[in-house]
Amino acid sequence: MKNILKINNLSKNFGNVSAVNNVNLEVEVGSIHSVIGPNGAGKSTFFNMISGVLPPSSGKVYYKNNDITGFESYKLPHMGIAKCFQITNVFPKLSVRENVWSSVFSCAQKSKFDFFKPLSNFKYVAEETEKIISDVGLSHKINDKAEELSHGQQRMLEMAITLGAKPELLLLDEPTQGLAPEATLEMTKLIQKLSKKYTILLIEHKMHIVMEISKVITVLNFGEVIDEGTPSEVKESKKVQDAYLGRG
Amino acid sequence: MNKYTITCLIIFILLGPFLFPNATITEMLIFGIVAISTNIMLGYTGMLSFGQALFFGTSAYISGLILLAGFPIFLAIPIATLGSFLISLFVGYFCVKREGLYFICLTFAFNQMFYFIAYVWTEVTGGEDGLVGITRPEFIDTQFSFYVFISILFLTSLYLMYKIITSPLGLIFKLIRENPSRAEAIGYNVRFFKLVSFSIASTFTGLAGSLYVLIHSMVPIDQIHWLKSGDIIFMTLFGGVGNFLGPLIGVVGYIWLSDTFSIIWARWPLIMGVIFAIIVLYFRGGVSELLENLVKKCQFYFKKNKDEKYIKN
Repeated sequence: MKNILKINNLSKNFGNVSAVNNVNLEVEVGSIHSVIGPNGAGKSTFFNMISGVLPPSSGKVYYKNNDITGFESYKLPHMGIAKCFQITNVFPKLSVRENVWSSVFSCAQKSKFDFFKPLSNFKYVAEETEKIISDVGLSHKINDKAEELSHGQQRMLEMAITLGAKPELLLLDEPTQGLAPEATLEMTKLIQKLSKKYTILLIEHKMHIVMEISKVITVLNFGEVIDEGTPSEVKESKKVQDAYLGRG
Repeated sequence: MNKYTITCLIIFILLGPFLFPNATITEMLIFGIVAISTNIMLGYTGMLSFGQALFFGTSAYISGLILLAGFPIFLAIPIATLGSFLISLFVGYFCVKREGLYFICLTFAFNQMFYFIAYVWTEVTGGEDGLVGITRPEFIDTQFSFYVFISILFLTSLYLMYKIITSPLGLIFKLIRENPSRAEAIGYNVRFFKLVSFSIASTFTGLAGSLYVLIHSMVPIDQIHWLKSGDIIFMTLFGGVGNFLGPLIGVVGYIWLSDTFSIIWARWPLIMGVIFAIIVLYFRGGVSELLENLVKKCQFYFKKNKDEKYIKN
């Protein structure tokens, strides 16, 4: 088993409140690893610490055996880690093409002088952009402004922006949040498709999606890992059932 | 920029000297550089700075002092511009640490700081009287040659700024305006690029300041006062932050209106206030958006007429 992401004793305290407590986790290359838990389990805090938004109180995060604990979030895409947000987070007044283009460019530019060259100089960026947009099924909307898209399409665009960074590890924070059932299904399929190319760390609230697609599931409750295993193991676990039913 | 706007710009440059007095038209071009560069920061990056007079004024002082010391203009302009670039890195480094209101306050505070340095340091800056006795070099002594000199620098600055906003850098500025946290998440160091935007705007403002000295052969102290920063913001918003050349319309309108009204009525800022309120309330995109909408309506109207004729025939 080869790890791409390794988390050692990660903790976060807000004053006296411990949001995440001594979490250990290893994400295997090429798998979908899910982190689930009831509301307030510390999933988002955990996600924010890995993605560089919040500095951890203690513990370490290793990416390919490099210590990336507390790295500023703008550095992560350049190392191969991209994240997708819980709330729709796109650039509303820019076109779909510009949205994705800037993400592809961010990790493709080689020298600082690239910033001053005409946009038309970057053919490979333009090609890559169009490919990604067609992958998520937004080719017919490529010149529309992001704010003109429907909610589901915006989530797809969000995904396209994330993929633009050519990541090896994808951090997804509740990608199906607020989606209609059909769109949820579409997103689940997309995630499954993506898992062939990328390693995915998925933070989710909805059990059934996670059960379907994950290889390993880690269950958080009150900021601590209460169980870890394959979907069927977790399903059977008494502790997990209790946590979800509020008996934990 | 399409070919119509370029044509309009060239017509403006060619007709300008016949429409306005020499001092007015050169002032328009100089403040044109200031407003368009300010728009890179304000309209494209979404940062409102109330301290642009700092760079305009400081650069004017540096350029004036170099000219007074007897050095040629080809030394004065680059050194003054470089000076404002370095100051913008220093000032900007602190300002971009904060956002929104706090950013505005910081730029304002720095502006006041530099103003009082100029005010107190009388032996160098001339204090309240300003820096006087600067002579224009011989080769731009006539009105015509001076105008040509200023327009060349104006067009060059415009070209450079246009190149910047149509490069990836311009797109990154828009990303920061639209959604800074997402821009950070896809790998852009937002604080760094804010500083870049701030420096670009301030450097071009500085270049304009170094040219301003030549119009009246002096540097009045109010060029570094924060009220001037307000004027710059006003001109930019008046013209419209929605497109590249919009602020230029604002500059021409503002300077023309203030020149005209100030002769008729000493309390003319009152009228400007009313106009500004109307613009902010009803035309958020400024005069340029107003014109754009008019053009669109005309096109629609003519097209409709054509269609009707076609149907009748």
